[in-house]
Amino acid sequence: MRRVLQSMRDGIGFDTMLVILTLSYLLVFAGLPLIYNVVISFQTVDVFSLGTLMHPSAGVENYVDIFEDRQAETVLRNTIIFTLGSVALQFTLGFALALFFHQNFTGATWIRGLFLAGWVMPGLVVGVLWNWLLSGDFGVVNYVLDGLGLIDEPVFWRSNPETSLYSVLIANVWYGTPFNMILLAVGLSQIPEDLYEAAELDGANAFQRFWTITLPMMRATIGAVIALGTIFTLQQFDLFAAITQGGPAGSSTVAQYWSWELSFREFDFGRGAVISVLMIIVVLIVSLIYVRSTKAETQL
Amino acid sequence: MTKQIELIGIQKHYGGFHALKDIDLTIPQGQFVALVGPSGCGKSTLLRSIAGLERITSGEMRIAGVDVRDLPPRKRDLAMVFQSYALYPHMSVRDNLTYALRLKGVSKAERAKAADKVAGIIGLENLLDRKPRELSGGQRQRVAMGRAIIREPKAFLFDEPLSNLDAALRVRMRKEVRGLHERIGATSVYVTHDQIEAMTMADHVVVLQAGRIEQQGPPMELYDKPANRFVAGFIGSPAMNFVDGVVGEDGRSVTLSMPGTPVVRVATQTAPGRAVTVGLRPEHLIVGPPDADGAIQARIGAVEPTGSTTYLFTEGAPELLITTEGTARHRAGDAIGLTIAPQRVHLFDPQRGSALAP
Repeated sequence: MRRVLQSMRDGIGFDTMLVILTLSYLLVFAGLPLIYNVVISFQTVDVFSLGTLMHPSAGVENYVDIFEDRQAETVLRNTIIFTLGSVALQFTLGFALALFFHQNFTGATWIRGLFLAGWVMPGLVVGVLWNWLLSGDFGVVNYVLDGLGLIDEPVFWRSNPETSLYSVLIANVWYGTPFNMILLAVGLSQIPEDLYEAAELDGANAFQRFWTITLPMMRATIGAVIALGTIFTLQQFDLFAAITQGGPAGSSTVAQYWSWELSFREFDFGRGAVISVLMIIVVLIVSLIYVRSTKAETQL
Repeated sequence: MTKQIELIGIQKHYGGFHALKDIDLTIPQGQFVALVGPSGCGKSTLLRSIAGLERITSGEMRIAGVDVRDLPPRKRDLAMVFQSYALYPHMSVRDNLTYALRLKGVSKAERAKAADKVAGIIGLENLLDRKPRELSGGQRQRVAMGRAIIREPKAFLFDEPLSNLDAALRVRMRKEVRGLHERIGATSVYVTHDQIEAMTMADHVVVLQAGRIEQQGPPMELYDKPANRFVAGFIGSPAMNFVDGVVGEDGRSVTLSMPGTPVVRVATQTAPGRAVTVGLRPEHLIVGPPDADGAIQARIGAVEPTGSTTYLFTEGAPELLITTEGTARHRAGDAIGLTIAPQRVHLFDPQRGSALAP
């Protein structure tokens, strides 16, 4: 007993305990649910059998159902548009802002800090905010577009099936851009100033310096930002719940929202789990890219 | 000789701080010029102003006859070697060397040829495919120089390039940089805080202090005829001894204000009775027997042998430092007599610090 206590104080005992605690936390709260999710995606689970641990097997029936569902195509297309569009715009805007604030004018740090205000807000609040902004009859967005002469009659962003997905996309870009900006700003600040000076003396103009110094030196950061952006966008649920609820007529439903609808609206937990499993695979692939890109970080 | 770099009346202000004060400097083609001075003297600012990385407040600046005041660095055709080397970490040595050529649109084949040639000059043939992080300090230093050489620029600018190397390597690279300069014959401006580097490498040394040029000239001229007390104390190692004194009746001797009020003969004719600061280089003081005629009587306070040279410190104030060659025959407490040749005694105005001309 004394030896155990002593090892807790001086030896590897304490380290081992910390590792075990962390691992068991991960196992209980992340590992088991994940595995259980995969298991029920192959079972028939409804409200009546929900309370039992094991359920009747369904084979691959749930998977077949999902792929044959008439909504599947729309959901897949929506998810791709929403994810690629969000990540591309968040990254571009975030990078532009990071470069802008990297010029270090008076107050740059302050204003950059204020940008984070958007990111720390709960998603539901952001959703409500954009509901007002995008509102068809009294929304600011329509007012501005009308004032600029870009539209003749109000656009009903959220209730028009053509635009409903984009109304969530716009809100999500607004929501995620500050996070992209901060990560990219950190990456930018890690490039030594004298590299730019050396490049300038070597004859590089501003564009060439960006292309041959900034971009390659930022490779690891850019990889991380895009991977995290993709993962966060695939997790985005609050904005859909607040702005369109996947509608009208499923026109703005994405995978994560469909999964929730199947599980908690139609109480078909098996099919809901199928979508989760498919999304886990996508996220795993993205995570692998992320891990690889942080490994190959540009060292000085 | 054509003027490669011409600076006339350069002023540089950072807000309220006057960083460069009325700098006049003309560098002929092919000359190796060292800018030397204590930290904060403005030597790096001056170099960066020539490079175009800093904007000067006023004054004229011409490189190869062209007014470059409003030209950005990339249009000045200068190459710079940075203290940190500033190698591009994501590029191989070959790409680092040929970066400037790539920007100029030189074909890949010609770039490879140029890289091979320069690698031969700087001795990096086997390292062309390595990344900078896989190189030692000395090798990085060489790549930085190769990157400058490959461009055949109008002038080379060096910003304390050897200060990150260890002492032994620094001495070797000193010789290499100088040898390279002699082979290529390009105009070079070299910033250093190390006066030995300046003295050993440069044709022309510029001593700066607080943004002002204190003196410029060939190294030995600065050593033999320092224009003022600052230069006298800065150039030469170990530093010159300074003692207050009063010029004697004949105007050819000075009575030193130290115990025993010794009198030294000087080569400079000055007004009798005038207060002066006397400068005595440690290596010019000759140690003799204490009873020698006309010698400064002193007692040794401390002895520091370094092998090749021995440092002797006298007791009492002002303390004098004497260097003697070889190992010491003297020990602390010994009485000695110090003599110095009259033409090696420097006299300065005690207030203004300027040298009194012989």
